[in-house]
This record gives sequence, structure tokens and C-alpha cells, in this order.
Amino acid sequence: MSQDGKPSSAGAVAGVDALSQDLLAHALAGVHDPRDRKSCRLASRAFARAEAASRRSARPLRCEALPRVLRAFPSLTSLDLSACAGLDDASLAAALSSAGGTELGVRRVSLARASGVGWRGLEAMVAACPRLEAVDLSHCVAAGDREMAALAAAAGLRELVMDKCLGVTDVGLAKVAVGCPGLDRLSVKWCREISDIGIELLAKKCPNLRSVDISYLKVSNESLRSLSTLEKLEEIALVGCMFIDDGGLRMLCAGNSLQSIDVSRCHHVTSQGLASLIDSQRFIQKINAGDSLHEIESCFLSKLSTIGETLTVLRLDGLEIFASNLQAIGDSCKNLAEIGLSKCNGVTDDGIASLVVHCGYLRTIDVTCCHLLTNDALAVIAENCRMVECLRLESCPFINEKGLERIATHCSHLKEIDLTDCRINDEALQHLASCSELEILKLGLCSSISDKGLVYIGSNCAKLVELDLYRCSAITDEGLAAVAQGCKKIRMLNLCYCTQITDAGLKHLSTLEELTNLEMRCLVRITGIGITSIAIGCTSLIELDLKRCYSVDDAGLWALSRYSQNLRQLTISYCQVTGLGLCHLLGSLRSLQDLKMVHLSWVSIEGFEMSLRAACGRLKKLKLLGGLRSVLSPELLQTLQACGCRVRWVDKPLVYKG
Amino acid sequence: MDRGQNHIHGQSAANLCYQFGSDNPLLGMGIQQPFVPFTSPFGASSSTNIPHMDWNPATMLDNLTFIEDKIRQVKDVIRTMVDNGGQLPCRQGDLTQQQQVVNADLTCLIVQLISTAGSLLPSLKNSSFLSHPPAGHMDTVNHVGSSSSFIPNVTTISEENKEDMCSPEDYEELFKGFTDGAMEGGIEIDNVFVEEQDAKDGDEGGDASMDGENLPPGSYELLQLEKDEILAPHTHFCSICGKGFKRDANLRMHMRGHGDEYKSPAALAKPPRDASAEHELVKRYSCPFVGCKRNKLHKNFQPLKTILCVKNHYKRSHCEKSYTCSRCHTKKFSVMADLKTHEKHCGRDKWLCSCGTSFSRKDKLFAHVALFQGHTPALPADEPKNSSDQISRVGSHQEPAKFPSSMSSSFMWGTSSSDDRGLDIKGLAGCSEDILSTGNFGSFNFSFGPADGFTGEPSGSTFSVLPPEHFQSAQKKGKN
Repeated sequence: MSQDGKPSSAGAVAGVDALSQDLLAHALAGVHDPRDRKSCRLASRAFARAEAASRRSARPLRCEALPRVLRAFPSLTSLDLSACAGLDDASLAAALSSAGGTELGVRRVSLARASGVGWRGLEAMVAACPRLEAVDLSHCVAAGDREMAALAAAAGLRELVMDKCLGVTDVGLAKVAVGCPGLDRLSVKWCREISDIGIELLAKKCPNLRSVDISYLKVSNESLRSLSTLEKLEEIALVGCMFIDDGGLRMLCAGNSLQSIDVSRCHHVTSQGLASLIDSQRFIQKINAGDSLHEIESCFLSKLSTIGETLTVLRLDGLEIFASNLQAIGDSCKNLAEIGLSKCNGVTDDGIASLVVHCGYLRTIDVTCCHLLTNDALAVIAENCRMVECLRLESCPFINEKGLERIATHCSHLKEIDLTDCRINDEALQHLASCSELEILKLGLCSSISDKGLVYIGSNCAKLVELDLYRCSAITDEGLAAVAQGCKKIRMLNLCYCTQITDAGLKHLSTLEELTNLEMRCLVRITGIGITSIAIGCTSLIELDLKRCYSVDDAGLWALSRYSQNLRQLTISYCQVTGLGLCHLLGSLRSLQDLKMVHLSWVSIEGFEMSLRAACGRLKKLKLLGGLRSVLSPELLQTLQACGCRVRWVDKPLVYKG
Repeated sequence: MDRGQNHIHGQSAANLCYQFGSDNPLLGMGIQQPFVPFTSPFGASSSTNIPHMDWNPATMLDNLTFIEDKIRQVKDVIRTMVDNGGQLPCRQGDLTQQQQVVNADLTCLIVQLISTAGSLLPSLKNSSFLSHPPAGHMDTVNHVGSSSSFIPNVTTISEENKEDMCSPEDYEELFKGFTDGAMEGGIEIDNVFVEEQDAKDGDEGGDASMDGENLPPGSYELLQLEKDEILAPHTHFCSICGKGFKRDANLRMHMRGHGDEYKSPAALAKPPRDASAEHELVKRYSCPFVGCKRNKLHKNFQPLKTILCVKNHYKRSHCEKSYTCSRCHTKKFSVMADLKTHEKHCGRDKWLCSCGTSFSRKDKLFAHVALFQGHTPALPADEPKNSSDQISRVGSHQEPAKFPSSMSSSFMWGTSSSDDRGLDIKGLAGCSEDILSTGNFGSFNFSFGPADGFTGEPSGSTFSVLPPEHFQSAQKKGKN
């Protein structure tokens, strides 16, 4: 709460009250952090009023809050319901209708993973929000043609994401295409029922499409022929389209609007097809050809020079790339900002050197699993790419502290570095600590890292958001204390298998108020006391993994149910909890949607039955032991299914790992 | 004359029967007016409210001349028989054939006579409709229609029917149905000559462009069936027992039961088609529904090619769609074959548009949706609404085509038993049921030329109605 513009004394509050509402709103517009905004609201009613009047977006976490949110923020334009627990047709319709007789100005709605919402809810939403422009329905696996028909009533719709709406067929797509002719951006990724016929109609009915994602569809070149008629097409993603080949890419050659193409995992696309596309589409900025081209051919490399000026992103993951290829790429594409060479065999220090020597603007370099790279590569990257922000060096075993020293000294803008499975030590962390902009640090499987290294990190990387310490088994409570002390912004923390950590370490972590994701698998020493301190301190916690924390008992669950009201995803498999604790947990946590509870050997069948009944309407995903399937009452399972909950039954033996 | 000779030598009895059966010119009246001939011609005056029924003396004269010619022809044939019979007694087969030819010719004469008097039809109502026929006619029947072995048959049928159909109301009703039908059908009682004349005069369809072909109006013989004939379930009737058949082949099989003479290979053989094809005028058909493009009165008249075309066209366009698909319960058809074709393809996957149009294939639906603004594929649950729309639309579309079809059909033909009844009524109406029932049987045979190969069949019977010179001139014209 040390942000500027934050009133701290009573006198200042009086002054704030005197200011006009739009001035306050203007001042608030400069405050981006939601927590800071909350402080402002709490400090002064005037700020609260100004904020309420000017607030544009909201992300309610419980459906009970939705009507209040809609009433309180009249100028809301963006509504994110993806985390809204318990949302169903009735509550959505009721909330939208209770917002008063006035029409809602909401333009963007995200309903991602809102599996409880069906066509009735969507119909109500479309009716209540006449200015609707963007809807995200991704991962609503139950959504089908009827839902699309309801959405199609929103004639002004410009953006629609329906990834993994498994029930949508050509008919649903046709409904949307006919109903929303102004569609600008559409993603039908994973909608496996959609075929060429639907895409053809889409291209005919929505001529303004700029961005289309047809990844993983069973469509053929015919779809590309239809899409090639779109004059404004800028972005197209064809990930994993098995029936598309070079012929299809040639059809896309017409026009010159295309800016981004993703043909990764298209096994029938070769260098020649891509070369012919590049030859005619001269303004391409992004190419993702990962896992598709069988080999990089010279025809493709020579054509790259035609788009050398515009190309900024090139991903060639999983291909065999030699130094000469990389040199050709470097020669042609001077403006590259991102290069992806993940899992590319044949990438050597020389190759990297010949690439980066021309590409001074590189910001993201992904050399995951390029086993041959050594410190020399890091040295040449550090020398040439001063702007680099993201380095992915996972599984580069020859990299050590010397290389990282060069990087740390030259690349002060580094924000993300992935050193998973690299043999680095505390000294390397000492160098990296000088990168004060660091936000993401992944140190998984670096077993030689100790508390000392973490102390370095904690001392300088205040902006750290994500820290991965998976299987860094030398880490103890002191290390956590240092990190918790220095990196207050940490949101994601992975401590799996750092088995030396005890409740004391968790006590330190409880000062991380912004922590949302915490993974603590197999921390056998932590107990309910540690969980309690986490629950009380980390109020933002959304995801918690306690699998195989054998010592965690009901006390931990009591604390979670009492304090972690935002908890959405929880894994308590193998924990020593009883039916009573589980019941209380499921009965109290109103945001909980995803629960994994395998091998809870202390919980009786009645315990499962009762607790599941308590949480029935809210759960979306459930992982249970297969044996329970026949024991739990069929009505319960039916109710779960009816509420949009998917149960994953697992059958594995109970094995205790230390 | 020479044509008669051809018949005698070239064709079997069945064939001849068939030929007469396909005697289209007779269709127009042969079926409808069989009960007329023995009523008073003056009765016609009572039916002047029907415009087409006017008694045309010129036509009548033509017809009578023709009948006269025909009688002379038959006499010639019999004379040859007598002569030949003396010389070659061994050729028994030929003799029977000739006998049958003569029989057929005589039947034709009777029918012609009946049809000539057909214009007097409406007077029937006022005439002795229910009067009992004189018994003496029985002999004539035997002599004319069939061999003596069938007499009991005929009599029993008529006896039965007399009993069945004695209620005056029934007759009244049936008659009404019949006349109504005639009214609706545009009352095509005028005989073939008139039709031919019409075509020649170019009164109508002067510049009709036919489907695919472009026959000038006069170059074909234009025929028009009545709707009752079109809708008749059977087109071939046994001249002995009156049983109806859809196919000529089935009739031939049936005939075997009536005696050994029908079992000969010649009698069972399929009648050859090419006998006199080259001399024939092309036949085209007109739909009896006035206002239809297939009706000869239409400005852009397009004739129908075959009887089958006529039947299907009439049922599809002017009849109620009484066959409902048992799977979707939505689609209706008036032609059974259409229903069967549909049922083959009618499955769960019915691709329906929001406008109510349905498609068997998804790509067809999507092409339709792409073509029309605002149309979308319908979801399964939308179906009931749309289908009801569709039904109502279809219903309204079909409205004008409604008519007492069941009535008229039962009157005219019915099926099996009711069939006979219908026939008998006519017989009763005509005061001489016996002659007429036989005549009717004969005429049934003729009238509904088999659906199969009706067109291809060179119907020598044209001669039986058309005067030779008339035919020749028409043919000449066609050549030109």
C-alpha cells in the first residue's frame, strides 16, 4: 500500500471528498493494481463512488455477487464470469434481469469454463446485453448447436471464442455465421464436429473475418479454399489439421492481407507449401511451423528473405536445424523478435551464433532441449541480443553459472528465464539476481540449489511473479523465508517434493498476499498448522495442491474452509482427512470447482456422499477413486452430471512415497 | 382394310385385345358413357346446362360413317374366313385367331357406338336410370363379347350387383359424383376427332415447346384422359370375370385360368410392339385439369409424353398427398413410388432449414442457406413448428386440386368387388346391363392401356375410331 496517490490520512480523505467524481475517476484510471484500487475504495467513499461509476470491468467469483456487481457498476463493459462459481442458467438470467430495466452496456463477456450455463442463460444474456461484441465460451465442453443458436441472436457480435465446445457442429457454426455477419474474430479450435461445409458457409456469410482459428478440426484443403475468399483475413491458425497439405496453403496465396499463420502439427505441410505461401503473401509477421515441416528445405529458407522485413516471430520447434539453416534465417530475417527452436536437433553454438549475430532485436529465444548448447551460445546471445526478455533453456545440460553471468550482466531486461533441468548452482542464481526485472524463474530439478541461492533472488528480484522450485530438494524453510521477504509479488509458487519444508516455511509464505497458485506435493512434513497459516495469510489463493502431504489433517481443511473463500482448485489426494473435514470443506468453499480426492482412506462412503451432496451445484471437475463409482448413490452421480460436473475415475493402487 | 388383314395374320388374340385396350381415343368416353347408348338421344336437351354436351350432328355423322366402314371391314374378314376355312381346315390356330379378331372388332364397334351416343350422357339422369334391362340382351352379349362359357359369370355378377346397388340414393350420389367429376375435369366428353381437330386448327398451344422435343402441335395425336381414368387403380381388366390388374402380364397370367386357349405360347407372349409403329402418329397427352400447363387449353401448353407421365403428373399436381412418410410423419406424397423413394432416404439426419425446406444432405442445406439471406439451418427441436408450416403450405397449395376422388374412383373402378358394382351401375343405367357389362369389360381392357409400354404399343385401334383417310392425312402431315 505504498503506491503514490494513495490517501493515507484523514485530512487527505476530506480533501478527496471535495473533488468532483470525474476527476477522481481520472485519478483512479492511473491505478492499475486491483489491490491498490481496493485500498482507494476503502479509504474514501468518494473514491468508491467514482470507482463504481467509472468501472469498466468486473470478474465476480461467486454467482451470488453477480446481481450486486451489475447494479453497482452501471458503466461496466467487460464481464468475466469464467471464475464465477455456481453460475447456471437461472442465476445468470436472474442477475441480468435484476439489473434494472435499463439495458446493460456490457460488450465483452467471458464464460470460459462456465459449464453450468446453457442456451437459456445465453439467450437471457444476449437479450439483456444488446451491445454485446465479444463472447468467450471456450472450454464449455457441453455447449452445442443450441447454445450457438442462442448466441446468434447477438447480431453485433464481433469476437467469438468457442474452443472445445465439443457439441458444436456445422449447424451451430452456421447459426452464428448467419446471425452475426459482422464477425471479426472466431476461434473454433477443438470443435471436432465442424467440417468443410460449415467453414465454407462461414466464409460466405462473414466477409469481415480477420482472425480464424480452426485448429484440430477435421477439415481439408476445401476449407482453406473457402477462407481464401476472405479479403481481410490476417490471422489463421491450423494447428493439428491433419488433412491440410501444401495444396491448401497454395489456395491461401490469394491476397496479401495475411499476417500470421500457424501450421504447427500439420503433418502434411512441407517447406514447399510454406514457401509458395510466403512467395505471394508478402506481409507475414508470424510463422509457426513447429512439428510440421519434415525438414527445412532451401526453397523455404530462400523465400524467407521476401518477408524478411516484416517477419517477427518464427517458430520451428521439433525440426532438424543445422547451423547453415540458422545462418540463412539470420541473414534473411533481420527483424526477428522471437525464435522458437525447442526440441530442434542439430542446434549448436555455431548455429545460434550465426543466427543472433544478425538478429539484434530478438526478445524471446526458445532453445528448450537443444542439448548441444553450451555457455558459448549464451555468451553470443548476451553479446548480440541486449533486448532479450525471455530465455528458455530447459534441459541444456552444458549451461552453467559462467554463461548465465554473461546473460545477467548484458541483458538487464530479462523477465523470464527457464532453467529447468539445467545443472546450475547457487552462484548462477547470484548472477541472475542482478536482473531486477525478473518475473518468471523456473528452477525445477536443479537439485544443487540451496537456500543461499534463494537468498540472492530474494534480495533483488522484487518483481518476481512465478517461482518454480520443483524437486529442489535442498531448499529449506530459510530459503522460503528469504523469498517471502523479498518477492512480495509472487503469485505462483511450486514447491513440490521440496521435502525439507515444514510448517515454519509455510508460516513465512503466508505473508505472500498475492499468492494464487501454490503446489506443495509430497511435503510430508507439513501439517494442518502450516495449512492454517497459508489459509489465513494467502487470501488470494485460487489453486492449492496438497497431494501426498500425508500429515495434513482435518485442521488444515477447517482452516481452508474458513479462510480460503477464493479457492477454486484443490488437490487433497492421499491426505489424512476424514469425512467430517471434507464435508465442512465442501460445504463452505463457495468458489471451489475442481477437486481431486483420490485415496482418502480415512473418509467413509457416507463422508463422500454427504460432502459431494453439499457441493453438488458448484463442482465442475472431480477426480475420484474408481471403486467409489459403484458405491456412491446413482442419484448423486446424476445430479453431479446434471450440474455440468465431469467425474474422472482413476484406478491405481495406494502406494506411499516418501 | 389391309390393316385388318395384318391383324388377323400377325397378332394373337391377347395382342389384339391389348391393342384395343390401348385404344386411347376411346378412353375419353368409352369408360364414362357406357350406359348411355340405349337411352333416348332426345334426353340430351335436358342437360343443356353443361356446355360441352351439345349434340353435334356432324360429328355424329362422321362416327356413324366410320362404324359403317368398320362393319364392312368385319364382314370382309368373316368372308375371308369362310373362304379359307373351306380350303385349309387344318389350320385351327389361325381360325381361332381370326375369330378373336372378329370378336375384338365387334367389341370395338359396340364401344364406338356407345361413345358416339356418349354425348347424350347427362340426359341419363332424367332417363330410365334404374329401369331393368331387357333379358334378351344376354344373347347379344355372349355373341359379341366372349365365348359362351362365360355367360354364367356375367350373369351372376350382374345379378349380385343388382342386389347390392338397388338403393336409389346410392345411385343418385354416385351419379352426382360422376357428373361433378366430369364438370371439374373440364368435361372432355368430346371425342377424339374433336381433339384432333383442335390440335390441327392450332387453336391452342400454337407455339408450345415440348420438354426436350419440339413437336409442332399438329404432328402428334393429342389425347386427354379423364381424371377418373387417370386415378383408376387398375388398367387391365379381364374380359371374362372383370378382375382388374395393374400389368398386362399379370392379366395374361390370370387368363390362363379361363381356358386352354389362353395357355398357348402365343396368348401368353408379350405383345410385340413394332407391328405398326412406323405408321403411327406420335401420341401426346393433355392433363384434364384446366389451367394446368399440361392442359391443352393452356397458352404455353406442354404435352405429356406417356400415360404414366399423365398419371404421375395428375397425382402429383392435382391430387391430395395422401401418403405420409411413416418415418418423419411430415413429408406427404400423392404417388406411392415417390413415397418409397423418399422413405429410402428419410432417416434421422434430416437437414432442415429455418424456412421449412428440408434436405437429405447437409451440403445441400448449406448451399441453400448460403444462397438465401437470413435462412439458417434449423435445430432439431425447431422441427415441429417448421413442419407444421410446411404442412399448411402444402395443404393450401393443394386446395384447388381437391375433389371427391374416392367417390368417383369407387364409382368408376374401385377395386375388385366394388369395381364390379361400379360397372353394374352403368349397366343398369344403360337399361341393358348385360351387354354393357361385357362391353365395359372390354372397354376396360382397352381404355387403360397398360402403364408398361403403353406408349410404345402401336395401337392399331386408332383405326377403329379414326376413319382411314383421316389417319392418312394426319400421318402425311406428320411426315411433312
